[in-house]
Amino acid sequence: MSTDTRGGAAEPLVAVQDLVKRFPITRGIILQRQIGAVHAVEDLTLHIARGETLGLVGESGCGKSTTARLMARLVEPTAGSIRFDGEDITHLSGRAMQHVRRKVQIVFQDPYASLNPRQSVGQIIGAPLRIHGIEGDRRRQVQDLMEQTGLNPEHYNRYPHEFSGGQRQRIGIARALALRPSLIVCDEPVSALDVSIQAQIVSLLTDLQKEHDLTYLFISHDLGVVRHVSDRVAVMYLGRLVELADRDALYERPRHPYTAALISAVPQGTGANRRRIVLQGDVPSPANPPSGCPFHPRCPKARIISGDPAVVPENCATEMPSLTAVAPGHTAACWYPLVPGDDLIAAAEGMAPEVVEQAEEAATA
Amino acid sequence: MSEVLLEVRDLVVHFPTPDGVVKAVDGVSFTIERGRTLGVVGESGSGKSITFLTVMGLINRKSARVSGEVLFEGRNLLEATTEELRHIRGDRIGMIFQDPMTSMHPMYRVGDQISEAILAHRNVGKREAGARAVEALRQVGIPAPEQRARQYPHEYSGGMRQRAMIAMALVLDPDLLIADEPTTALDVTVQAQILEVIDELKQRLNIGVALISHSLATVADVSQDVMVMYAGRPVERGTRGEVFDAPLHPYTLGLLSSVPRVDVRVERLVPIEGSPPSLINVPPGCAFHPRCPYRFDPCDRDVPDLRDRGGGHDDACHLSAEAKAANRRERLDMQEPVT
Repeated sequence: MSTDTRGGAAEPLVAVQDLVKRFPITRGIILQRQIGAVHAVEDLTLHIARGETLGLVGESGCGKSTTARLMARLVEPTAGSIRFDGEDITHLSGRAMQHVRRKVQIVFQDPYASLNPRQSVGQIIGAPLRIHGIEGDRRRQVQDLMEQTGLNPEHYNRYPHEFSGGQRQRIGIARALALRPSLIVCDEPVSALDVSIQAQIVSLLTDLQKEHDLTYLFISHDLGVVRHVSDRVAVMYLGRLVELADRDALYERPRHPYTAALISAVPQGTGANRRRIVLQGDVPSPANPPSGCPFHPRCPKARIISGDPAVVPENCATEMPSLTAVAPGHTAACWYPLVPGDDLIAAAEGMAPEVVEQAEEAATA
Repeated sequence: MSEVLLEVRDLVVHFPTPDGVVKAVDGVSFTIERGRTLGVVGESGSGKSITFLTVMGLINRKSARVSGEVLFEGRNLLEATTEELRHIRGDRIGMIFQDPMTSMHPMYRVGDQISEAILAHRNVGKREAGARAVEALRQVGIPAPEQRARQYPHEYSGGMRQRAMIAMALVLDPDLLIADEPTTALDVTVQAQILEVIDELKQRLNIGVALISHSLATVADVSQDVMVMYAGRPVERGTRGEVFDAPLHPYTLGLLSSVPRVDVRVERLVPIEGSPPSLINVPPGCAFHPRCPYRFDPCDRDVPDLRDRGGGHDDACHLSAEAKAANRRERLDMQEPVT
């Protein structure tokens, strides 16, 4: 699937540099004062090569959807830059931006909320063609798109409520394809669908990628789906990129303790007594992220280093580790990347919930 | 050891509507034993939630036609009075739901909400009930339970709210816990914690658990017995090992080969074609036949019975044992890791 751009020889399709997005928290109705900010995305740097699928995983509040919206310029970044196809699009507006929008499309999570219930399928899929003034027989173009996405072209005049969830998601995909984009941002495209339908949509997306030479940013909290579709996978935690690697390297040899715990936590159906790394505590609030490495209050590896479940090494608690190469094409943001033999299961079990809570409180105070 | 807590026989729940009869549950039988977890798997509309809402007496009997038997401690709950049911619910059978935020009252302190259940069922004072509520929160692993009991639900994180729901469901020492999609609304790392808490409490308190989920894998990790439902009927039933390692029904096989895995990468997913049927117009014969790649002559006419295929492993399918074994080899071979 991926063309040979990983070495960095050819220019990547998308490159974001030090991207930051903070949403202000205000108090007061008329005289609004800012009393804080949600740190949705912090210092994000990554690129997506032409023709590849970059998977982006993380739990709720980790900033993955904000990243999707930033890349499509649906929200304005607080700082940093976005380059698309060699052009800096961070501050483009008006006509120049409209040209970029043809190349970047989104497929949304909820196939019920993302289609206008009062428009027919023909109008919905044809809307991008109309807005961008594409010439030609619109009905034929739309029916062609419907056929490609596995919809019956005779249903041109039907309305969204007449379709099942899986078919509606196909409508959303047809609409995203209409302008022949180069990048499609798929924001949790199968999460709202029934299990037996998910595989249909995943297969459709991979087939379309081959046919149309598409590049995907594939966002999901489902690690199984991401492993299936992605060439490379990025893991986010509390707005920060914590690990990025080729698919198999990431799943088989994760180096960041959070990635290891995330993969381990996924139910696999392999047995009742499979041992898991069970992290204590919840993801902290992005409005008040912990100091230093945002993962340190829950990190079992930090306890292995310190040798005491109640103590974390000084640098974990005070300084954010930068994303550094741990192997060719594999980066992780961790002071103490995992090495073979680290027993995270035992270390996580040794951490009492009280200890984690104290650590979180101390870190966010 | 194998003490049957709950036995459901031929449960049917039909809802008459102006458009036709919705056959939400159409002949479901199963048992739950003490100390074991029954995992119930199915997609939306498979009848899994309605089955257990009926067991709890939580569906409106005026709008539904219900038949069959729900035997709990030797009594048929379908014939119990409202008063008797109120006694059993909460006290003998605890229940937790998918969304822990909407299952709690936002304006009462968590400790008071747990105490309320105790005061409704036990002849104890407020102080005693409060102390028991704190103890229940401690049991489910909530740190500093004395302070946490005085907080409101919005001060809890999602995972802690679900822990508090479990505490509420188990505070009266019920024999049976019904958990309807308890982890669906939670993040992956928190899901693992909640499943662990349920499993640990099941062993410590020696209760029976019904775990309802749309995810086969979730069910597999903590259940001893598994029932797969489709269009209001069970299509396969057996121990975890039987259903996962040697699935019989084409629908189970389809679910197993269409879900991507994290531990291995597969070359190609094999989706189940089509979508789940409308429960008003359930296809004749086997309800799965329009989507089944192996359908043959009798499938669109005769409804297959759920029958024992050896050792208590049941399925409802017309195919021969040899054909099923061959299908299984063919489908699961595709799930081998890509080299």
